[in-house]
Amino acid sequence: MKYLLPFEKSLKPLYKELEEKKKNWETTNNIEEKIQQELKKIYNNLTAYQIAQIARHPDRPNTTDYINALFEDFIELHGDKKSGDDPSIIAGMGSFKGTTVAVIGSRKGNTLKDMILCNHGMIKPEGFRKIARIVNLASTTFKSPIITFIDTPGAFVSKESEKKGQIEAVSEPILALFKAKVPIAAVIIGEGISLGALSMSIADKIIMLKYSFFSVISPEGGASILYNDRKKSEELASSLKFTAANLFNAGIVDKIVNEPIGGAHRNKEKVIKATGDAINNELETLLKENEKQLKTNRIEKYKKIGIYAD
Amino acid sequence: MDINIFRRKKKIVVSVLTEKKVKETPVRCQSCGNLIKYEDLKENLKVCPYCGYHFRMTISERINLIADSGTFSEIDTEIKTVDMLDFKDLLTYKERIKQTKKETGLDCAVITGKAKIGGFNTAVGVFAFEFIGGSLGSATGEKLTRLIEYAKKRKLPLIIVFSSGGERIQEGIYSLMQVAKTIQAVDSFKKSGGLFIPILTNPSYCGTAAIAMTGSIIIAEKGSSIGISGPRITKEVAKQNIPDKLKQAESLLQNGFLDIVVDRYLLKATIIQFLKHYNRRAI
Ligand SMILES: [Zn+2]
Repeated sequence: MKYLLPFEKSLKPLYKELEEKKKNWETTNNIEEKIQQELKKIYNNLTAYQIAQIARHPDRPNTTDYINALFEDFIELHGDKKSGDDPSIIAGMGSFKGTTVAVIGSRKGNTLKDMILCNHGMIKPEGFRKIARIVNLASTTFKSPIITFIDTPGAFVSKESEKKGQIEAVSEPILALFKAKVPIAAVIIGEGISLGALSMSIADKIIMLKYSFFSVISPEGGASILYNDRKKSEELASSLKFTAANLFNAGIVDKIVNEPIGGAHRNKEKVIKATGDAINNELETLLKENEKQLKTNRIEKYKKIGIYAD
Repeated sequence: MDINIFRRKKKIVVSVLTEKKVKETPVRCQSCGNLIKYEDLKENLKVCPYCGYHFRMTISERINLIADSGTFSEIDTEIKTVDMLDFKDLLTYKERIKQTKKETGLDCAVITGKAKIGGFNTAVGVFAFEFIGGSLGSATGEKLTRLIEYAKKRKLPLIIVFSSGGERIQEGIYSLMQVAKTIQAVDSFKKSGGLFIPILTNPSYCGTAAIAMTGSIIIAEKGSSIGISGPRITKEVAKQNIPDKLKQAESLLQNGFLDIVVDRYLLKATIIQFLKHYNRRAI
């Protein structure tokens, strides 16, 4: 284990013991069993904030992992054809179980260099415009379904972004997705925060991994605004009701992909495969529907979201 | 998504000035530092007589500024804010709604209706910054959507005055979804040939500003702060210092994202000009 989360610290001596045993060619069944027991104990009682921490685990399967494993002949497309190319958005055409699809996802980067290049997944105006462009390309030219992978801390806040019209750019993918006359499946694989996540989430079906979250604001940002104290993030996280289970109950999310005890990073292949199956199930149903009807239903679905007294 | 400005209500310069609060004491202008008698400030459309700084207006002052006298009639009054998440921060959301209602008489961060502006029939929405920072909740999103549909059905020009810190954190994901819902409604209205004139006032942040930026003709009041994030979040996430000036209406105009930046005195006259042109269009 390269990286243990703060609430997994009790595992540290166990993993150390496991390493030792492996080094000395001793049997490890016993200790592995102990690790599983401890993990179970921790993962059966996770708080919302702990789920957010799992969602942000650096080893968690990311958009690039899903694209490599689930799509054949993937070709990345670049640029918004207006002002630049945002590496925090990876988009292109690929083949999903024999069907041509457009894939769009946010990218945080695997190496430190990539992370900086991708702004840790924070989306620039040219990123939002790139999403809109690829959505339109899929809808009008390829007539192919769109699959999005969401893992972003939100829109990039910088001088350059404000100058390039971040506040205008963010609505472009939202409108493009509403307009698209093709099936859309959105998959929330890690953190999905604020307008950045919203811009890729307008879909006919939203799939969410068990330990991912989808929120109006980061728990840290929310705590800073509402409590004027970043340390209240944990408290606020529970209030926000942003976990897959919360959002499934609220009817916002259509399908939850299960993760093993310990999180997706402890069994990447299995989780990626299960996610692929979930996408396939949803697409199979969606592909049977009339494209005009899909669009109408999508608009109607979002129009109904909201709880108020009347 | 920044409503901290609303919370620090003891500092007069950053809260909405209501008569109750400041009738007795003179107000210090945040921009030039001069003391102004509240009556004088009110007389002057809440613009500093010394330096022209635009103070925030209450929702009723705003309606009086825009609509022809006595022509505004409210619609969808039955839609009210509720606490669906059992949300709690320093205060429970239920208590916050109750207190806000007591202080402002409002049930929602937006008032919608029809009004005449310069004699033209229009659909009008006005944000109340005094209602939890004018933030976008479910009731807000629903009232906006119904107003947009009202305007579409009756072929009325749509004027919405924005003054909002962004999404209503206390409504979690429901709040974020209102951004998508409203943007879609605006788009459908515009496609039907509708004219949507958003007026961005100080401040307009995050999702609500994003809605405003989809306008047909986008007007901002002089000196308004507009951006993807409010000051608190900007400080929290930006890795660099972002000058306040970059978020000012004047900078957005220069960068090509606004049509006009107006002085408050000229706001209504400017709207009327567009209503005239729109009224003369070939149908
Ligand atoms: Zn002044």
